[in-house]
Amino acid sequence: MLLNRASSGERWRVRPDGPGKVTGGLAYLTDMTTDHMLYGLVLRSEHPHAHILSINTDKAKKLPGVHAILTYLDIPGLNAYGIAHPDQPVLCEDRARYVGDALATVAADTLAAAQQALELIEVDYEVLEVVDDPECALLPSSPQLHPGGNELHRTVFSRGDVDQGFRDCAYIVEETYYTPRQMHTYMETEGGLFVPGEDGRLTVYSPTQHGFMDRMQLSRILKKPQEEIRIVSSPIGGSFGGKDELNVQPYGALLAMQTGRPIKIHNSRWESVRAGLKRHPMKITMKTGVDAAGKLMAHQVSLISDTGPYSTLGAEVLNFATEHVIGPYQYVHLDVKGVSVFTNNGMSGEFRGFGGNQAIFALEGQMDRLAEMAGMEPWFFRKLNMRQSDNLGPFDQPIAMTEGAEQVWEAIAKCPLWLEKEHLTRMSSSGDEPWIKTGIGAAFTMHGAGLGVGIPDPAGGRLELAADGKIEAVFGYEEFGQGLLASLEQMLIEQFGFGAKDIRMIIGDTDVVPDSGSTTASRATAMMWKSLQKLKAPFSGQLLQRAAAVLNRPVEQLQLGEGGIKGTRENSLLLSYKELADAAGEPIRCETSFSFPTSSTERVGAHYMYTYSAVVVKAEVNTLSGRARVLQQYHVVAAGPVINPQGYLGQIEGGSSMALGFTLLEDSVMEKGHYIARNLDTYLVPTIEDQRGLVEVEAIEQLPEGDDYGPRGIGEVGSVTLAPAIAAAIRQACGKWATKLPVEPSFLQEAPFFLGKG
Amino acid sequence: MGMNIQETIASPLVWHPQTAAEAWQLKQTYDIEAVYTSGGTLLRTQWESGISAMPQHLIDLSAIRGLNELRVGEAGLVVGGQTSLQSCRSNALLSRHFPMVTEAIRTIAAPSVRQLATIGGNVASSIGDSIAALLGYDAEVIWFDGTREHRALLSEWLHEASAAKRGNERLLLSVLLPFEESLGETPVSNGAEDLTSQMKRFGAYHKVGRREAFTPSVVTACINGVLTCSNVIKQIRIALGGGQTVPVRLEGLEKEISGADVDGQLLRHVYDRTIELFEPREDLFASAAYRKSTAANLIVSELWKAAKDNTKQL
Amino acid sequence: MSEEAVKSESPYVLRCFVNGKEELIDTKPAARLLTIVRDELSLTGTKRSCEIGRCGACMVLIEGKAVNSCLTMAYQCSEKQITTIEGIAVQGMDPVQQAFLEEGGFQCGYCTPGMIISVKALLDENPDPSDDEIAEALSGNICRCTGYGGIWRAVKRAAEGRRQTT
Repeated sequence: MLLNRASSGERWRVRPDGPGKVTGGLAYLTDMTTDHMLYGLVLRSEHPHAHILSINTDKAKKLPGVHAILTYLDIPGLNAYGIAHPDQPVLCEDRARYVGDALATVAADTLAAAQQALELIEVDYEVLEVVDDPECALLPSSPQLHPGGNELHRTVFSRGDVDQGFRDCAYIVEETYYTPRQMHTYMETEGGLFVPGEDGRLTVYSPTQHGFMDRMQLSRILKKPQEEIRIVSSPIGGSFGGKDELNVQPYGALLAMQTGRPIKIHNSRWESVRAGLKRHPMKITMKTGVDAAGKLMAHQVSLISDTGPYSTLGAEVLNFATEHVIGPYQYVHLDVKGVSVFTNNGMSGEFRGFGGNQAIFALEGQMDRLAEMAGMEPWFFRKLNMRQSDNLGPFDQPIAMTEGAEQVWEAIAKCPLWLEKEHLTRMSSSGDEPWIKTGIGAAFTMHGAGLGVGIPDPAGGRLELAADGKIEAVFGYEEFGQGLLASLEQMLIEQFGFGAKDIRMIIGDTDVVPDSGSTTASRATAMMWKSLQKLKAPFSGQLLQRAAAVLNRPVEQLQLGEGGIKGTRENSLLLSYKELADAAGEPIRCETSFSFPTSSTERVGAHYMYTYSAVVVKAEVNTLSGRARVLQQYHVVAAGPVINPQGYLGQIEGGSSMALGFTLLEDSVMEKGHYIARNLDTYLVPTIEDQRGLVEVEAIEQLPEGDDYGPRGIGEVGSVTLAPAIAAAIRQACGKWATKLPVEPSFLQEAPFFLGKG
Repeated sequence: MGMNIQETIASPLVWHPQTAAEAWQLKQTYDIEAVYTSGGTLLRTQWESGISAMPQHLIDLSAIRGLNELRVGEAGLVVGGQTSLQSCRSNALLSRHFPMVTEAIRTIAAPSVRQLATIGGNVASSIGDSIAALLGYDAEVIWFDGTREHRALLSEWLHEASAAKRGNERLLLSVLLPFEESLGETPVSNGAEDLTSQMKRFGAYHKVGRREAFTPSVVTACINGVLTCSNVIKQIRIALGGGQTVPVRLEGLEKEISGADVDGQLLRHVYDRTIELFEPREDLFASAAYRKSTAANLIVSELWKAAKDNTKQL
Repeated sequence: MSEEAVKSESPYVLRCFVNGKEELIDTKPAARLLTIVRDELSLTGTKRSCEIGRCGACMVLIEGKAVNSCLTMAYQCSEKQITTIEGIAVQGMDPVQQAFLEEGGFQCGYCTPGMIISVKALLDENPDPSDDEIAEALSGNICRCTGYGGIWRAVKRAAEGRRQTT
């Protein structure tokens, strides 16, 4: 089904968070202020790599209006954070490893006083050699950034004997692919309000993708029981993975506890660029071969990932990339090696696609090159080598089986845009502007959801009939724009029969919500769906039984409806939810908790549930400037039932726009550990003008009979296939294979044909 | 907290002179502590990025009488320096007579920024993206030296601006765009060959940036000329700029090709000489070599297109 | 100097009209409108993001034209009519807001007030814009979530709605 308003009918709904967003009435956490608050700022390292010999805050402390200046000496608990492995100092003690490293934090009456205080802090540095190239970082001669060396993590996966495999190949493609340091560029920079209570508790109003994780990490830093910290974390002005890790929270929390005053922090864009996460730049070398019939015989991959100075989720991203460079194809022999390396460049971390973007660009590039070399139609070539539905997953692990790969392949094979490809003549020099050349390309992926084997991946939620008669749906997930609330509301309406006005949704507040796990890895909608499946019978049952008692009617004759309890035969309202809530008895409340389904393998990071997707892209290259433009896109996504058509469409459109930036525009260029692009005048993300072409999204909803996992994730998959598809379109347009993203215009530029050669 | 740090620390006094003389005098009085400002959009970017500190005095030029409009003067269209770029963008006179200037302004920033930013500010920065198009029309500038108004070719004014820091002495008032003479009135010198009496104007402005809209320029290129129907170049102006490069006319090349036939050899010559003559500044986003070849490609392809339209032979 | 140039003193009282209401604001002549709107008037629908006019999150209407409030200094607002997202609707919701709601022209919503301001300015000036005109008018508003798909649909719907009602 093509997803759009018309095809969705009544399922196309106005989002519950919409009115607040279009009127400006919705207060984001960075919009909050309170009486007596102080402003917080952070002093960050001037150098990407330096010993810190001393930090002198004496002058700064004397400045009027300054209430606190904290250094590493003032941290009560663990001076480190990191979701997977806490090795990033909250405030550096003796060494700075990147330009975002924090050395001190200040609270003052005004921002101006806080800024002046920062300037008065005297730091004595001994500048060290900058490690800015991951390959050099692996040499024994390189300065070592951590006691364990510069290697954060290594991955290996092999099967058979690739050397033997390559001997059996008729065609071998060997290529190295490079991907950029893409910035999330959420429109709302990091920030929040940190309010100490008279009871000694601390309330943190600051965006994150997993409130309980922030609570645990802050508890470690503050040396304060988790129950004494409350994290309020939604709404969020965009995240894309970038706000999952702690950012300003440690500073706001420390300053609030120290001063006893509310602290407001809101990063400037430059602060956000400097300190924040980026997508891991990767260099991926692949050698892939097929036999004379075009069957994949051997696939050898070497990945090197620039993880920056500290761990955060660098190892997990590498695991994901390692799985996805294998992807949806069958190989006889396989040999994959990956390494994630510490450098003094910016922090790399979680970002929509989680290593899949880089992996798929390389893998699909190989498929297109091999097809061409073997003289085969590229989509047919993929079909020839594609996994069968009952095959094991990329790591030879059991997975939830679907027909997704086949379904997506078929949909692309017959879509009009793909069929147009063969009619495009390459290198045509007719027309008024013969230097504009057009091509069509496509790419395919299977993208894992959930955190994977070996990582706690809790899920769950709660339904409750509140005293005021509202049906409360309580989940520990976050709304950062993806439409989580809209999806939750739609499920409650469609699966239970409630009306929108009957429902109150509560998310993003650790004092109230259960730990439903993180809102990451394309998992939240699937986990809400599963929770509601589990809660449906007990919750509906309790509501109806209570109603039956009140109404003195058999429970079989009652059903849930908009506004209250209705009769199964007559559709009139018999009892409102308010009346039901007022009736005597135990509170009606159901809770569920379970884990995201995982594969039975031992392989850490291996996934169990996958979304299959592909995209066809039409692009043009103006060879005078070498600039490429995307003209049209057709996405096919097989992810089970469409929970919320507007949200689904928006996720694919938005993800692909991000991928367009990744492919053609975006790179946080660094020079010797310093960011060159400090704001949005030089770091360029797509504008509406870059995004003019038609984007169509076809959703394949069918799942195998008996599949009770429900909807698969769609939050990331829109952003992973576009790059290789654009690269293939560029190949058709002007004959060049792009291996480095963003595609450099100078690489595609040609002197006009009429000048002849020379 | 909408507040940013700069503004809470520094708070310039803002002066609103009513005449150019007053503005000039204020600048002499406060010298390096004062900065002329119109829309202030470029200044704000510089303050935010730390390239320059907020000054102690801002001299707001927007109140100076008579600089806020486009009017037809004796020699051409006079565009007051305080005219906002967005007013220029939507001005019918400008787009009728100087469409390449309109096109250049369309590609500058976004409409909301153009509401504040002025043509004077764009030109006075020496690197504004309107400049290449203005050069393509042989624009002049009117400036004030404290006692009287001067008129000079924009190309010369830019040359002096880049040669010496003369911001104190020269206050840009207006841009003057001379109307191009109608081709009907062009004297035909070689009456023997009547074919040449039919001539046509051609021209184009291109900005190549790093994305499709609201982008810093990498190359700006303007070509404006007259071809006879047998593809002889009767008149030609070529102007190039982009990024931090002060735009220039390629006058040497213009002379070399005036009167020449547009053929394969000439196109090759234009291409090679553009690469030789154009000296763009590079940065980490685009090399000088790329800027040169882009400029050469844009110019030579427009020339090819003009000649091809004429004869459909090339 | 024969005649004294007018000087905006610091401290400085800005007189302007915000969402139709006269405001007298103690500020500094070079203070940014963004700060004034958010901190002095507590109108936080106008968002802070890049602060150099490159993203459009802080867009407001000044005399009906969309302008970046982060680039606008207090003295430039003197005696001007300023409309923020909070004042965009005469009553209930403006048709532009309604169109964004119905078409899903937003996700995280942080760019949305600025985007709606730009669309409002466009349609007030040009009720039937072409695609080129829409793209130009919105080229200063960055949306990182939607890929602009919902925004294209919302603008077209809003324009269509206006055509039908007039």
